[in-house]
Amino acid sequence: MEERILDIMRNVFEDASVNVASNQNNCPNWDSLRQLTLVSELEDEFDVEFEPEEIAQMRSFTQVREILMTKL
Amino acid sequence: MRYFVFRNQTVEPFFSGEEATFSGYDDVSQVPTDASRYIWFYQVPVGPINEVADEVDTYFEKLQFVASRCGADKQLIVFSLVDTANVLIVENDRALRRAINDFNRQVSQWAETRSNVKLIDFSEFTERYPCEQLVNWKFYFISQTLLNPKLARDFGQWWQNKERALDLKRKKCLVLDLDNTLWGGILGEDGPAGIKIGGDYPGKAFSYWQRALLELKNTGVMLAVCSKNDEKDVMEVWERNPFMVLRKDDFVAWRINWQDKATNIQELASELNIGLDSMVFVDDNPAERELIRQMLPMVTVPDFPTRPYELMSFVKGLVDSYFSVYSITVEDVSKTAQYKANAARQAEQTRFATMDDYLQSLELCLQVSELDKFNLARLAQMTQKTNQFNLTTKRYTEDDLQRMASQGARIFGVSVSDRFGDNGITGELILCPLDATTAEIDTLLLSCRILGRGIEFAFLNSVLNLLLSNGVKSVHGTYIPTAKNGQVASFYEEAGFSLVKTDNDGRKYYVRKIDTVIDNKDYYKITIHKNGGENT
Repeated sequence: MEERILDIMRNVFEDASVNVASNQNNCPNWDSLRQLTLVSELEDEFDVEFEPEEIAQMRSFTQVREILMTKL
Repeated sequence: MRYFVFRNQTVEPFFSGEEATFSGYDDVSQVPTDASRYIWFYQVPVGPINEVADEVDTYFEKLQFVASRCGADKQLIVFSLVDTANVLIVENDRALRRAINDFNRQVSQWAETRSNVKLIDFSEFTERYPCEQLVNWKFYFISQTLLNPKLARDFGQWWQNKERALDLKRKKCLVLDLDNTLWGGILGEDGPAGIKIGGDYPGKAFSYWQRALLELKNTGVMLAVCSKNDEKDVMEVWERNPFMVLRKDDFVAWRINWQDKATNIQELASELNIGLDSMVFVDDNPAERELIRQMLPMVTVPDFPTRPYELMSFVKGLVDSYFSVYSITVEDVSKTAQYKANAARQAEQTRFATMDDYLQSLELCLQVSELDKFNLARLAQMTQKTNQFNLTTKRYTEDDLQRMASQGARIFGVSVSDRFGDNGITGELILCPLDATTAEIDTLLLSCRILGRGIEFAFLNSVLNLLLSNGVKSVHGTYIPTAKNGQVASFYEEAGFSLVKTDNDGRKYYVRKIDTVIDNKDYYKITIHKNGGENT
């Protein structure tokens, strides 16, 4: 699952270097617009829905994974 | 293509594949000049209906303001307004509907008078989805994107086809198989009355498909047939089967024989004077499709549906992907008629003793006119589509032509008619002044369907005569070789130009002094419309 998330993030942020340590501060393309695309891609890929409060918390790979885990 | 997008909502996700920058929300104060195209993509905002209606009423004025600062030589693509969100709240509101309709109507009337403004019917896209899918309120509230970002990928596809239509990239000819493609069943086994066409399903599906193809033909796409059959059986179907929608006259050419299809398609291409890359081949047999993909990779070969009821979405896809046009010019519509009239001309040709006798009998009329808003679309289209009789093969958009004209270039089109019919604008010459007494021919091209009648010389000569009267003393010309324009390699020699030098890559540079009026054969009736005046 980690790999699937990372693949989506690398695609959305157009950045091959995205890894488990990536977050909004160290990943230059991770802006609010791409956040939107990321959420929409994750929702489609894992067939889940995120709440706005959860989306606001998704600021690092770790947080993305944790929030996603609660849905699966 | 660098876009600048005027918007009032978050639309960035929909242009992720493009090089685009965006205005502030509903901000028309900044109009950057480094964009190569502008897009106006507003959505109907969400709010109390009457306030929204008042707001929408301001859009047309804002759009006109923006247009006045974009410059008339750059394309401004305007998306029509679609009420995606408010329909969910209020079932029936007249004030807002009126405002939306007003905007769309005003823009469409306005776009007709401004060739750089292109109206895109956005409902074409939104109609595919139910309201609940078009709008995702969660994304609206967290990032002000009304249009569901999950539709971004579909939108990208749709937009790509629209762009292709705006850029005038359209295939010219659809080559069709017959058995189990244009009709159900196999003619050789089921007989002319036994094939499935008309009546109940599946015949009905094939009739609808043929009707759609007829519509396509009426927009200027050439239909041709390539089928393994006995030609006389097919003729019987075309002449006798009462359910057939497409008949012999609807096809510009056919190859109905037992020869391999790759050879047949090559023959069709040369008969029609078009490149393989402007053909689309449709056949139900995967082996035939594979053969063409292997042998003639330039030809587009889409997969064919296995069930006849899928033909309707198949034809929609065909049109969207290969045959959509932004605006259909008059020339496209009558193309089949013109190619047919050409055949009649060829038959005529054998009856005359000399070529001059024949040309005399044609009653040829050439009308040379300079670029104006009526011929702009056609003149741009010809630079995009003409491959064979094209000395320099430079491709231009409408914007390019307008810019060149504003920088002093003179752009001429020639329309040719004869007693068989009007060919419309079929030749083009772009002349760039070098100094007061010298000019260069930037582009000279002619549609292949009017070749063989000396039009190219009569057209060139009449422009040269016009230059003489304007004090120009010499004209430069260039031949740039391509894979397709070998036939004009020595055109300038034939036209009385002298070769100055030849580059290693085969480019040839010419010059011609103009000091006396060049006589055209008296059987060409030539009229010249210059901008700002007329003389004969």
